[in-house]
Amino acid sequence: MAVVEAPPVPVADADEDAPRARTWTRGLGVAVPVALLALVAGACFLAPLVLPVPSPTGGNILEAGLPTGSPGHLLGTDPNGNDILSRILYGGQTSLIVAVTVNLLGLAVGGTLGALSGYVGGAADTVIMRLLDVLIAFPSLVLTLAVAQSLGPSLTNTILALGFFSVPAFARISRAATLSLREQPFMAAARLCGTKGRRVLLRHIAPNIAPQLTTFGMLGMGVVIVIEGALSFLGLGIPAPAPSWGNMISQGQASLSATPMLVLWPSLILFVTVLAFNLLGESLRTRWSVR
Amino acid sequence: MTAVTAGRHRGVGARLFASPSVRLVGNRLLMAIPITLGVSILTFWVLNLIPGNAAQQLLGADATPEQIRAMELQLGLDKPAPLRYLDWLGGAVTGDLGRSLVSGQSVAGQLGERLAVTGELVAMAFVVSLVLAVPVALLAAYRPNRLFDRLSMFVSVTGLSVANYVLALVLVLVFAVRFAVFPAIGFVPLSESVGGNLHSLVLPSAAIGIPMFCLYTRFLRGDLVDQMQGQDYVVTAQAKGVGPWRVLLRHAFRNSSFGLITVVGLNLSTLIGATVIIEQIFALPGLGQLMLQAINTRDMAVVQACVVVFAVVAVLANLLTDLLYAVLDPRIRYGSR
Repeated sequence: MAVVEAPPVPVADADEDAPRARTWTRGLGVAVPVALLALVAGACFLAPLVLPVPSPTGGNILEAGLPTGSPGHLLGTDPNGNDILSRILYGGQTSLIVAVTVNLLGLAVGGTLGALSGYVGGAADTVIMRLLDVLIAFPSLVLTLAVAQSLGPSLTNTILALGFFSVPAFARISRAATLSLREQPFMAAARLCGTKGRRVLLRHIAPNIAPQLTTFGMLGMGVVIVIEGALSFLGLGIPAPAPSWGNMISQGQASLSATPMLVLWPSLILFVTVLAFNLLGESLRTRWSVR
Repeated sequence: MTAVTAGRHRGVGARLFASPSVRLVGNRLLMAIPITLGVSILTFWVLNLIPGNAAQQLLGADATPEQIRAMELQLGLDKPAPLRYLDWLGGAVTGDLGRSLVSGQSVAGQLGERLAVTGELVAMAFVVSLVLAVPVALLAAYRPNRLFDRLSMFVSVTGLSVANYVLALVLVLVFAVRFAVFPAIGFVPLSESVGGNLHSLVLPSAAIGIPMFCLYTRFLRGDLVDQMQGQDYVVTAQAKGVGPWRVLLRHAFRNSSFGLITVVGLNLSTLIGATVIIEQIFALPGLGQLMLQAINTRDMAVVQACVVVFAVVAVLANLLTDLLYAVLDPRIRYGSR
């Protein structure tokens, strides 16, 4: 009667294990990029305070063009004798500050505008959205170039120029999310209770559209870091000698075949940071099931 | 709906006007006009903020104020901005985009040549990325979470995190410096040699196309998997005994193609932005390079025309996206929203 004997039941085990395994990996999907970002941000902002990191500018010309692994200059020096590692750390401060500020700007201005527009509706909505359509119709880099050029290259102006294209994108997401909330029963309930518009926006709409905006913001961080680099590349970003990852790559381009490491080091750290933001955005998207 | 049924008894023209898709096209075309106008006004305004005008730029730093004044009069820069905008608009509507303040050439003529280069670059990047993305996404979605799927997702998430200028430089480093397979710079016009032209565009279009390939693959794969899991029509098809590939291709892919079209359409303006940098790196004589040069020389007529062309292309791409919806999806809700 061995035939009837049921085999041990790995199926049931697998079924029990599967969700646990999935949760475990899912936790990792957030933890790994967060750890990576903490590492990058910590290195950029804390290391120069704690460790004897040489100055990123005003290097000694006698020490120019040292190769990777030189004593005192772990990643070598650039043609101006500046320490590359130090420039990457200080440049990271710039790139991260720009990315965070631009996205906060987009979130605050665009998010509010979009939520208001979607909540109020009617003529105000049409006017706001048409104006934003104009901004969106602009290829963002082209607009940013024009704005950056008219304001002149500097840190603040780079932030403003990038904010110009970040705002409409946030506004669109925020409006779409608000519109889909409008039909929800709890919104009707709030209206029936006579809740004031401000309170509805802050207490009912804002918490519900926060996941979408946060996810978008994470992906936006990567985009902004890349575009800041693009601006530097076209000579309209953070002006030299101050370092940013973008302008390091663009300065290295001139001697690409002779000293490729000048391009590759900042490119690598740029890639890792953007990848971490993208992975984090993706994990949050899955976790909150945002589309 | 009543208009459609009534239309059956009227002439072809009336029927055409009553057709929802024609009305949709008309509506979208009408909306494209104010957007394009808005873009041109915005450009004009932003460019006016740039300190230092073309007269100063042309005469150099040591020009006397009188000389600058005379040059401004000659170029018509003394008129107030709104008036100059209207002048420009009047010309633009009739196809006259003015003359370049720096080279004196007609802007429209310059644009034509440049647009062909940029257009070719975009088209090559576009075709390659879509032709690769669709089969890869289909293969990945055929067996989700298997080796090929994981591999393709890894590649596409990685590829999406590489800035296009970094990718361009790495491509140059590998394929032009290390192995001299493709040229890093030196554009060969199509009229000179077709093979040489394609050869000179391989690296630039790869630098633009690879991130697009990654974006499309990831999106399409995700959407296909969503469709295949738990959509009623998929279950129905499977229950009818339709083969797995057929369900994927004829049922799920058809539905996922809407999402893909949206992504492609939305992405087009990013793509146009990318050409500016890529043309700069590979020294391609395209629209982006022209615009960048014009920005640096304060050649407003040229910048204005370039930006408007970029914007018109973006608006047209969105229009085309909407129209493709109407073609692909008979359930599309006309006029609502």
